[in-house]
Amino acid sequence: MSTADELARILEEAGVAFEAAGSLQDLRETRARFLGKKGTVTAALRSLGGLPADERALAGQQVNRTKGEVEALFEARKAALERSARSRDLAEHRLDVTLPGAAPPRGHLHPIARVERDMCAFFRTLGYSIEDGPEVETDFHNFGALNFPEDHPARDLQDTIFVEGGNLLRTHTSNVQIRAMTGREPPFRFVAPGRVYRHDLDATHYPMFHQIEAFCVGEDVTFAHLKGTLYAFARHLFGQDARVRFRAHFFPFTEPSAEMDVTWGEGWLEWGGCGMIHPKVLANCGIDPDRWQGFAFGMAIDRTAMLRYGIGNIRHLFDGDVRVLEQL
Amino acid sequence: MRVGLGWLSEWVDLPASREELEDRLTVGGLEIEEVIQMGPSLDGLVVGHVRQRVQHPDADRLSVCTVDLGGEAPVEIVCGAPNVAAGQAVAVAPHGTVLPDGTKIKRGRIRGVKSNGMICSSRELGLGDDHDGILVLETDAAAGTPLAEAMPPGETVLDMEITPNRGDWVSMLGMAREVRAHYGGALRMPDEEPPEDGPPAADAISVAIDDGAGCHRYVARIVRDVRVGPSPAWLVDRLEAAGLRPVNNVVDVTNLVMLEYGQPLHAFDLERLRGGQIGVRAAHAAEKIETLDGEVRELLPEDLLIVDGEGPVAVAGVMGGADSEVSDATTALLIESAHFEPSRVRRTARRLGLHSDASYRFERGVDPEGQARAADRAARLIQEIAGGTVAKGRVEALGETPARTAEIVLDPARANRLLGTALSGAEMVALLGRVDVEASEQADGSLRCTPPSYRNDLHLPVDLVEEVARIYGYGEIDEAMPEGTLGGISEPPDRSLREAVRDALVGAGLVEVMTFPASPPDDADALRLPEDDPRRPTLQLVNPITSNEPTLRATVVPGLLRLVRGNLARQVDRFTLFELSRVFRPGEGLPAEPLEAAAAVVDAGEVDLWGAGAPVFFQAKGMGERLFAQLEVEARFEPGGSEPFLHPGACGTFRVGSQDVASVGEIHPEVAARFDIETPTALLVVDVAGLLAVPRRRPHLEEVSRHPHVRRDLAVLLDRGVAAGEVLEAIRKRGGGSLRSARVFDRYEGKGVPEGKVSLAFRLVFQRADRTLLDSEVSKAVDRVVHLLEERFGGELR
Repeated sequence: MSTADELARILEEAGVAFEAAGSLQDLRETRARFLGKKGTVTAALRSLGGLPADERALAGQQVNRTKGEVEALFEARKAALERSARSRDLAEHRLDVTLPGAAPPRGHLHPIARVERDMCAFFRTLGYSIEDGPEVETDFHNFGALNFPEDHPARDLQDTIFVEGGNLLRTHTSNVQIRAMTGREPPFRFVAPGRVYRHDLDATHYPMFHQIEAFCVGEDVTFAHLKGTLYAFARHLFGQDARVRFRAHFFPFTEPSAEMDVTWGEGWLEWGGCGMIHPKVLANCGIDPDRWQGFAFGMAIDRTAMLRYGIGNIRHLFDGDVRVLEQL
Repeated sequence: MRVGLGWLSEWVDLPASREELEDRLTVGGLEIEEVIQMGPSLDGLVVGHVRQRVQHPDADRLSVCTVDLGGEAPVEIVCGAPNVAAGQAVAVAPHGTVLPDGTKIKRGRIRGVKSNGMICSSRELGLGDDHDGILVLETDAAAGTPLAEAMPPGETVLDMEITPNRGDWVSMLGMAREVRAHYGGALRMPDEEPPEDGPPAADAISVAIDDGAGCHRYVARIVRDVRVGPSPAWLVDRLEAAGLRPVNNVVDVTNLVMLEYGQPLHAFDLERLRGGQIGVRAAHAAEKIETLDGEVRELLPEDLLIVDGEGPVAVAGVMGGADSEVSDATTALLIESAHFEPSRVRRTARRLGLHSDASYRFERGVDPEGQARAADRAARLIQEIAGGTVAKGRVEALGETPARTAEIVLDPARANRLLGTALSGAEMVALLGRVDVEASEQADGSLRCTPPSYRNDLHLPVDLVEEVARIYGYGEIDEAMPEGTLGGISEPPDRSLREAVRDALVGAGLVEVMTFPASPPDDADALRLPEDDPRRPTLQLVNPITSNEPTLRATVVPGLLRLVRGNLARQVDRFTLFELSRVFRPGEGLPAEPLEAAAAVVDAGEVDLWGAGAPVFFQAKGMGERLFAQLEVEARFEPGGSEPFLHPGACGTFRVGSQDVASVGEIHPEVAARFDIETPTALLVVDVAGLLAVPRRRPHLEEVSRHPHVRRDLAVLLDRGVAAGEVLEAIRKRGGGSLRSARVFDRYEGKGVPEGKVSLAFRLVFQRADRTLLDSEVSKAVDRVVHLLEERFGGELR
């Protein structure tokens, strides 16, 4: 049989064999019969060495052409098999995608911590430093230096929880004013978020709550700046449509003093107290009140969180009920 | 303070809109807490027109009335009142009405005649005591008109919160002044001057002030031949609208005048005062007095007493004595109108726990010049209501002149600089004038200001700035933002660490809680803390919220365990919690307030679709590993630990150098029992304060190898007592320089593994940075490891 016939037979055999292969695995094994080390095409290539030199060139061309044709048949069949495998997968693979995702557990920051962060972020953009103060505090820092006279009914406003040894649980974050301003040269701006305590427990009061204190002292810091800052703060927290109202009020450590309300639904929500720092407070901190002036305010964090997250009962904030906190 | 608007309108003109008034007062500093409508509820009652009255067929005292209630046909009502007559407009309670006293009116038969309701008397309506007959209405209202619309409305009362600086507001006079400040107009003062028909008061009594620092002025008025009895209805209504209980006409007048002027008064039975004299002095040590409420009070020398010729008759400014009380038998009165030092009254009232309407006003400061006027007004009213004769003149004594700010110089430029306004001096003068501050502009532009005697809160220029702003209106002041950066920006050193811990724990899937830091005294015992544990000493609260939680916590752990218990009780049995808070450790001066974090992992081990839910210990340990990885703190885990509230067989410690930074473990069974926790629970307790001192490792990139790695898994049978961590440690040491990582990926005991043994599977990964590893190199390293496992740990390759 001539080489050409032989090669034609191999090519035909390969076509039939590849077509018969039902899987990629079969196909790869079938390929080895022709193109593997012991395959018929490989054998034909090897046999070229035994031919006379003048025939070798032509035969070589023929064998290589056949090899290329067998390769092409293989590739075509391989592509066809892959296509059908993909079609089968597309036709048959059906996942119940309604089963739950395998998500890593989600943690929950306490709503008060969330609001506090939001508030601090706001004041950072306005160039405020953050300051801290102790929760167990001296009478001097909580009252005396803040211009609460001894034996004055102003002290009754703040139902104080006293600690053995003459100290107390701070009733407001304003103690930080004294600690931060003493020994510091204005101008400066601070915020001080923190926990405060009052001897008060009923349906709407909890003996612990959180305030954010802010104070800003310079040569020309005015009541207008207090209003502007609080408006901006309220809009940041409650939206651009939030309305606010300043009511005259009394605090021993500010003059003029005001309470600030924000709109909530039909009515007003009391949000916190504010005013221009009393000259005696500045003087108590070693700051010349004739040269320096500034504003201070303390806003309710808990109440903000309750509004923002629709928490109706203040106890939900502090009773550690996972069913509640996991929703927030 | 409760203010009746009808009453107030007698003193000053009010704006037409009540809402407007409320808003203005609120913004001006008088917060309105409640609006109270006085008078009974007349819901359901209607005006009826009596068309016909006929005698009841079977009862002499009853009549049968045909009453038009505005319906299609008139109805029959049986009535027992003698004064009912055809043509009257009457108050009718139809079937189904509930009267103010709670009686429900029902249709029924009275002596055989059908009755469709009730015609009411004043008393039945809660409008008075008159029960002699039905109330005949003077009204043109059509039949069927709701009664509430046909009757004169009851008083509308605003209950207002008074800030403690404004003692002058605690009166009708003060309220009238405030309204006038906002709306202008004139004050209408009541008649004050009494008819002085009696002999001179000075003949009856002498007044002496011994403690002039405590009592600045004492004014007495004498009224004789009074008839003590019940007060007239108008007086009772006024007191009740103000929230006071009527007593008798004399006491009621003193209370009424106190409500009018803010000046507390006291009436003594003149005949019970001994020695013809009255005065004010400091109490002697251990002196006693029986007060009006029947209690015997022991006094201190700082207390101020009213005394007669023999001894104490009242605690000044706080409460009268029982012996000299006005009774029904009293005929002669001494009316006291005095000014006491506020701080003295406050100290005494607080110490004795006697907070009266008088002490409330004295503490806040009453007008030091208002005593005579109030005494006059009271004498006049008593004479009008209780009869008698007012003695001629007042008997008066003066103590020291109370400290008072007579003049304040206000610089308008300074005021504008504080407020951010541009008001002229003249505008400020006008604004101040509206609150009775007399101000005059000087040549240098400054304002010389004299506050009125009743304002004890105006001392400094800023106090006047507030008045200027308040009357001008806080809402009228512009809004602006401070300019420029003021000073450098800083943060407390522990803040970023605290927030990073918070983020890491939340990122690890934990739920944050916050709790009130008061705790029971036996928490240290419940946690099995040893005697010398730094968390054992706690700070005591002087006035705790609840008596069973009298201390401030020194650790967050017990509170967290109580929350675990609380959630388990609510049928939540798979959850994680953490609290990050300051705790309180007593020391010299103020306590230390270190930050502590504790996390609890609670897992009842319910079936989970995706096979999550490692044992609680490993969940907690993993949270610790995650925490320190995220904080970039290289903490090393070591088995065992010293926390007495953790299970000794299932606990460990994270250390940095020699410092313990966290403990992790299952809770000790005794602690579990103590906190009533039966579900598997593990704790991770982190010394956040301690972490501040620990170095943080900044991540540093090590270039990744371009060469392939080789993985080898080894399953080894080991004794159960062998710790996987130790084996791993040894493998890492012996694995050679090409061993990139080694970890345990399976642990198995049970079928196929001999008793007392465990099968641990290790995955070793080899790789070099400079070239591809040869198979033979890897095999050699693995052989070394296998040899190590056999020789040192008695292991057996499976």
